[in-house]
Amino acid sequence: MKRVIILGQTNAGKTLFTINFAAYLGVQSITFTFSDKQRGSYTRTIEIQDAIELLVSDRAHHTRSIQSAVLQIPWGKAAKRFEILDTAGLSDGIHSDETVRRGMAYTLATVREAEIILHVLDSALIAKKNVLHSIGEVDYQVAQFGQLHTGYAILANKIDVPHVKEGLDKICEEFPGHFVIPISALLKLGFKEVRDFVKRHL
Amino acid sequence: MANELHVNEPERIYGLVEHGEISVSEALSMIRKSTNQFGKAEVEISKEERIAKIQRELTKLIGLDSVKSLVLEIQAFVEITQRRISARLASDPVVLHMIFKGNPGTGKTTVARIIGKLFLEMGVLSKGHSVEVERADLVAEYIGQTAQRTREQLRKAAGGILFIDEAYSLARGGEKDFGKEAIDTMVKTMEDQRSDLIVILAGYSEPMEEFLETNPGLKSRFPITIEFPDYSAFELFKIAEEMLEQRDYQLNKAARRKLFRIIEDVRKKEQVNFGNARAIRNLIEKSIRQQAVRLVSKKTTSRTQLMEISDDDIQEVVDA
Ligand SMILES: Nc1nc2c(ncn2[C@@H]2O[C@H](COP(=O)(O)OP(=O)(O)OP(=O)(O)O)[C@@H](O)[C@H]2O)c(=O)[nH]1
Ligand SMILES: [Mg+2]
Repeated sequence: MKRVIILGQTNAGKTLFTINFAAYLGVQSITFTFSDKQRGSYTRTIEIQDAIELLVSDRAHHTRSIQSAVLQIPWGKAAKRFEILDTAGLSDGIHSDETVRRGMAYTLATVREAEIILHVLDSALIAKKNVLHSIGEVDYQVAQFGQLHTGYAILANKIDVPHVKEGLDKICEEFPGHFVIPISALLKLGFKEVRDFVKRHL
Repeated sequence: MANELHVNEPERIYGLVEHGEISVSEALSMIRKSTNQFGKAEVEISKEERIAKIQRELTKLIGLDSVKSLVLEIQAFVEITQRRISARLASDPVVLHMIFKGNPGTGKTTVARIIGKLFLEMGVLSKGHSVEVERADLVAEYIGQTAQRTREQLRKAAGGILFIDEAYSLARGGEKDFGKEAIDTMVKTMEDQRSDLIVILAGYSEPMEEFLETNPGLKSRFPITIEFPDYSAFELFKIAEEMLEQRDYQLNKAARRKLFRIIEDVRKKEQVNFGNARAIRNLIEKSIRQQAVRLVSKKTTSRTQLMEISDDDIQEVVDA
């Protein structure tokens, strides 16, 4: 079973994307396995709406472990399974909180295991702020890392926010040669393209 | 700092991020470079080789069979738990704080150091060093200072092992004693820090058992108990030989016989504390000095003579 890892800065919308993408692929509730090197791992099944309420937040570094779920994509008459891994957001510099750093370290440790990387960027933030303050050093590094991978795409998220166009342009400028899919994790826009991309690499 | 390190094992790199030594960006670029240079497989082999080397260091220790197999068991369990977590299978957190029971000189510190190195390679600890302390290093004479002193030692041990020798003495003096403050501080830090520190409480079996009985909260926090049996006479003899060999000395036949007899005699009389390697060290050092005295009056000495310990060099009296 192939693994799709969701990477990006904190608050980019990784968790909301993961949950809504699962919903888009037809599940009513999502069975998440929460794993953490120190605390071990456990599994819970959560209704989509509850998952959004509990796991999505505008507070920075809300996700601190790996939240993974097994999903499936229609494949001819059958379906193909893959594992989606929502991760702790990455940030520049050295974070002062040990649990946050541990979450990031665990994200890094897991990247190697994934065949497909979906790199989420906040286009609304990038539209609003200078790229120096909205695209992180870590985003450039992830993109470079992605070049070694066949299945790497950038998800330019939050396109439902007004005046986001400028953000999308900046993303394409900053990451030339990469596959960019504009999406809204909130409104499930662009999800068909994401599904097709994932399907191509399964 | 990061670039000077030339770290190219991914596990180490993640550790550096976790412990705030480098940023995620630096880590990503290091991982990218290391996989370009060496490829994934090679890196993994070297990690395994290093673990195997430490395991050999452990198995080479004389005696301690039950200790060795328990350590290897723990290691295997940690490894499999890590793999299960990576496979996102249900797994309980692994708590690695330990109790070491046994007489002094039965190899407890040596084993603690090896465990530190082992868990460093496995990515459980970030430094793998071991800080060895006793009551006086933790407990102060005045109110309020004990917590500070204990925290200081815990800080030194962060990333490695805090080895508390004769830990039961922390319970000496009952409720009002500051030893209790040291225990509370330690437990609190273990709880807050959770990972990246292993505390080992060591001491004689019986007082350790009493100590744990009177502090029921401790038992669950130290789920691993390792018993260090006294060495047998033969094991002690082997240890003596090894010590001499490391110092470029050799026992002649008569000396071997005499040494073994002395060890057996003392073991039989069950002289307190003789089940340990420390008494052997004293015996060996004494014999080395005796040999020097014997040889010093000679004008010339051959290489063989300089290496040889004869039966006359070995003293009958053993002070444990
Ligand atoms: N308008 C809009 N808001 C979004 C969208 N996606 C996410 N958000 C909001 O952005 C905030 C962060 O979303 P999360 O999904 O928690 O972000 P994350 O990337 O998982 O963050 P960490 O877990 O901290 O790394 C939340 O307030 C979301 O509601 C989107 O497409 N449009
Ligand atoms: Mg999240």
